[in-house]
Amino acid sequence: MKTKIALLILFISGNLFAQEQKMSDAEIASFKQDVNLVSKKIKTLSTDFIQYKHLDFLSKDIETSGKMIFKEPSLLQWQYKKPYNYTIVFKNGKILINDEGKKSAVDIGNSKIFGRINKLIVGSVSGNMFDDKEFTISYFKLKGQNLAKFIPKDATLKKYIKQIELTFDKEESTVVQVKLLESSEDYTRIVLKNKVINAKIDDSVFTN
Amino acid sequence: MQKSTIQFLLINCLLAIVLVSCGSVTKNYIPKKLDKTAIEVPYFSDSKTDYVYKTNITVYGNELSGIFIAKKINDTLHRIVFTTEFGNKLMDFEISDKSFKVNSIVSELDRKILINTLKQDFRLLLKKEYLIEEQFENESNNIYKSKDGKRDNYLFISKKEGKLEKVVHCSKTKEKFTIKFSSKNNIFAENIQIIHQNIKLKIELNHFKSE
Repeated sequence: MKTKIALLILFISGNLFAQEQKMSDAEIASFKQDVNLVSKKIKTLSTDFIQYKHLDFLSKDIETSGKMIFKEPSLLQWQYKKPYNYTIVFKNGKILINDEGKKSAVDIGNSKIFGRINKLIVGSVSGNMFDDKEFTISYFKLKGQNLAKFIPKDATLKKYIKQIELTFDKEESTVVQVKLLESSEDYTRIVLKNKVINAKIDDSVFTN
Repeated sequence: MQKSTIQFLLINCLLAIVLVSCGSVTKNYIPKKLDKTAIEVPYFSDSKTDYVYKTNITVYGNELSGIFIAKKINDTLHRIVFTTEFGNKLMDFEISDKSFKVNSIVSELDRKILINTLKQDFRLLLKKEYLIEEQFENESNNIYKSKDGKRDNYLFISKKEGKLEKVVHCSKTKEKFTIKFSSKNNIFAENIQIIHQNIKLKIELNHFKSE
């Protein structure tokens, strides 16, 4: 019996290790280099996404989906198509919103927190977020994937986001999943699919 | 003499204004014999349902939108979370008839007056049972009066379908706010509007189904 339990524990812990294994320093360096090489080449990026809002007390995650488009240096459109239409555009210090046809604009000017959020979203999707000044970062290997965990250093940012986890496809070195943790129980998980890099995207796309 | 007449008129006018308000809820309605002493509201009463609504809040001309989530977590308690469309939590409350706890709120919204207003709104929104003291009617509704501390709630139930269509929350002198419900099946409300009369605040909830 005891051996059985020991074996079981070994099996479970072995499995855990298989799921998430720490990278060595050499692996970290090579992983960062790969991601930076790819993200540097990104001039435009469009991707479909599915967002799962997980709240511990709910019986089911809240699922919404749509399309995200980014163009260098900082044009960003986040468009929800299901189950409702809601578009948010970050453009020249402005946030443009289209909520089921109702349009509005917010001038964020030099708002630090929005600047950070913008950088964060772009960084999350492109993968280029390895800023040791902003985050405490840890690196893991998964089956066919790499995982980087970012803990914000800034107190203001930390109030909103406890941790950001980016999952990368090992082959392509691009982000396939973004997970924003608010607490240990509650998080938002965004799965990116059908990514197209450097297709021609006109500036006029970025409007509400 | 003239002075006192003016004063008298003024007082009368003031009284008229004061009396119109909540009196106006029942003014044009005919008193009726009570046909029930309690009313149960089904709209947020199922502990198995995740109540998820796309939300638009208009406050003094400013617009705020997001997702409103409510869940009954035990016999008396509801959890309420309001997030942005991106999913980040703006506020997180636990609320019952008698208790209220703020689990979290972003600093931009952390204002006592706002929290107290929402507490009052949500408490009424989630209220499951009303004890009835008086009854009235008009052409289309049976109207039930229920005491709420020093205030009153008036419940409008359609005669045709027996659905709760609105709750009007009044002080002795004024209508404070109204909650309007639209429900197809009388179990779940697809659209809800919370409209304040004394401050420029309107909260609209539209149910959406997750994929």
